[in-house]
Amino acid sequence: MHVLVVEDEQALRDTLSQQLKDAGFTVDCAADGEEGLYQGKEFAFDLAVIDLGLPKLPGMEVIKKLRAAGKSFPILILTARDRWQDKVEGLQAGADDYVAKPFHFEELLARVQALLRRSGGWAQPVLRCGPISLDPRSQQVTVNDTAVELTSFEYKILEQLMLRAGEVLSKTEITESLYEQDFDRDSNTIEVFLGRLRRKLDPDNTLKPIETLRGRGYRFSLPRATA
Amino acid sequence: MSTRSLSTRLLTSVSVLLVLFFGVAIVVLDGVYRQISDNALRTRLDQHVSILISASDEETNGRLLPGDSLREVRFANLGSGLYGQIERDDGEVMWQSASLTGTGLKMDIKLPPGKRQLRTMRLSNGSEVLAFSVGLEWEFPRRKVRNFVYTVAEDQAPYRAELRRYREQLIGGFGGLMVLLLVALAVLFRWVLKPVRRIEHEMEEIEAGRSSELNGRYPRELVGLTSNLNALLRNDRERLARYRNTLGNLAHSLKTPLAVVRSLANTPQLQEQVTRMDDIVSYQLKRAAMSGGTGLGSAPIEVKPVLEALRSTLLKVYADKQLDIQLEIDAAARFIGDQGDLMEIGGNLLDNACKWCRSKVRIVCTPFTTPGSKREGLILIVEDDGPGIAPEQRDIVLKRGARLDERVSGQGIGLSVVQEIAQLSGGGVDIDTSMWGGSKITVRLPAP
Repeated sequence: MHVLVVEDEQALRDTLSQQLKDAGFTVDCAADGEEGLYQGKEFAFDLAVIDLGLPKLPGMEVIKKLRAAGKSFPILILTARDRWQDKVEGLQAGADDYVAKPFHFEELLARVQALLRRSGGWAQPVLRCGPISLDPRSQQVTVNDTAVELTSFEYKILEQLMLRAGEVLSKTEITESLYEQDFDRDSNTIEVFLGRLRRKLDPDNTLKPIETLRGRGYRFSLPRATA
Repeated sequence: MSTRSLSTRLLTSVSVLLVLFFGVAIVVLDGVYRQISDNALRTRLDQHVSILISASDEETNGRLLPGDSLREVRFANLGSGLYGQIERDDGEVMWQSASLTGTGLKMDIKLPPGKRQLRTMRLSNGSEVLAFSVGLEWEFPRRKVRNFVYTVAEDQAPYRAELRRYREQLIGGFGGLMVLLLVALAVLFRWVLKPVRRIEHEMEEIEAGRSSELNGRYPRELVGLTSNLNALLRNDRERLARYRNTLGNLAHSLKTPLAVVRSLANTPQLQEQVTRMDDIVSYQLKRAAMSGGTGLGSAPIEVKPVLEALRSTLLKVYADKQLDIQLEIDAAARFIGDQGDLMEIGGNLLDNACKWCRSKVRIVCTPFTTPGSKREGLILIVEDDGPGIAPEQRDIVLKRGARLDERVSGQGIGLSVVQEIAQLSGGGVDIDTSMWGGSKITVRLPAP
């Protein structure tokens, strides 16, 4: 999952991005509103964490402009001004949740995961499709209640596919959510990871959870469990 | 409490002045008129006597009688009101006018020659006459001299009637004039005081929150007052906005470092200290940002949209809980004061309710009137189906902000912020048990 962090205080930005990376996210940072808006508009993100008190362009404006530009990824507000007026305005401007400074990282992480899950159309915390289930909180994957060991990249790809189960994801989309902007990408590695993932989840090749649609991308095709 | 109105003052003082002025004028004019008519009456009596004298003819035995040359018919007509008599010094009456017959008037008098006398007498029917007597010496042929008294009397009734008529006209005329003047002045005062009444009306509009400043054009004398008042109202609003902005910046610059410290803090003790610092900063900044003002010059805020905005915000924030938030807001409910304060009250109450409820939250808002206030206050009730607040905890929860050392698990500073805002406007907060067994918070916000 590719997260954009827009925060002007360097110490906080560095810690937050490190903590998010440790939690398995791909993170890009911006130090002011203008840069944040540029990155948010130009690159594909799955979520943005935006501080409201930003230099050059206030966080509220960044959110409004991102939404006006048609960007629909979830936005989590970081705010020091914990007056309700600001929270309400922020959410009306298009944000999806807020976390007041100073925050516990665990709380922020829980909010981020919940937002991602909801943006994929999942109401409950554990994603279940057929016999496969994935818990983003513990990063645990099970098939028929048996734990499956995945590498970090394998997990990230699976999470991405399962969050948007039923939708077609292009190779570029998957790549962008895996790598930071300045990373030298090789899309063939995706094929490699997908092959390994298929073998681990479906050793007998009976479930066929991940479909390949030639020229379009990939789809997690097992039906979502409703409860 | 308030002194009488300007126009009442003006009208009363002008009426008193007018009554005094016209009263004195009536008394003076009446006196002058009486004097003039008295003099005229005397002159007339004098003339009658002179005519009588000049018309007198000598008779034998030293007698005098008015001759044919006396043309005054009133002497001859009964009840004409003019009476005459000639009396000799020995008391013998030479002549009495025919008009005197039956009137019972005795005009006899002893008067030496050259003397004149004016008397007021009464006829037998009670009417008053003024009698004028002149004593004179008459020289008959052969140097025989006798003294006579000529008396002429005239009925006062016509004169009195005339005087009465005059007075009636005087009082009637002046009275009418006075009423006319008062009406004219009342109209004039209304016109002159119109700008003052407009200020009064516009102030009421501002008080009721229908207007934010004095809009009318005012005469030169009042422009200073009205423009200063407007500046004051504007300044008050701007000051609050500027102040809030400063506080917001302060919050930002205090909380960002706190967030850094929190992200680096690796012991529970350090984390707890950060929490305490955060609570203190939040509480004190929120306290400082409360308006607590009368909301003078700001429009009453419709409660419904504010609570609806908060509701949709919290539905987004607590999306996973799939909340059922019922709003029962009286459409007429208006908050007189600052929108930020209303947001704080609603936001803190709703957030607590959403945090603690299982699924149900209910908000009821109704206006209420306080005797003696033109404006309506508000009662806001927020209920949830959570665990509720134990009776022994209720007081502590409300005082949390003031005593930050108290550790009350779970409850933030929200309720004490609400309580502070309510108390600033003279209201308060009550904690009770809701119909679902959860907490029920009632906030009373009287109109300022």
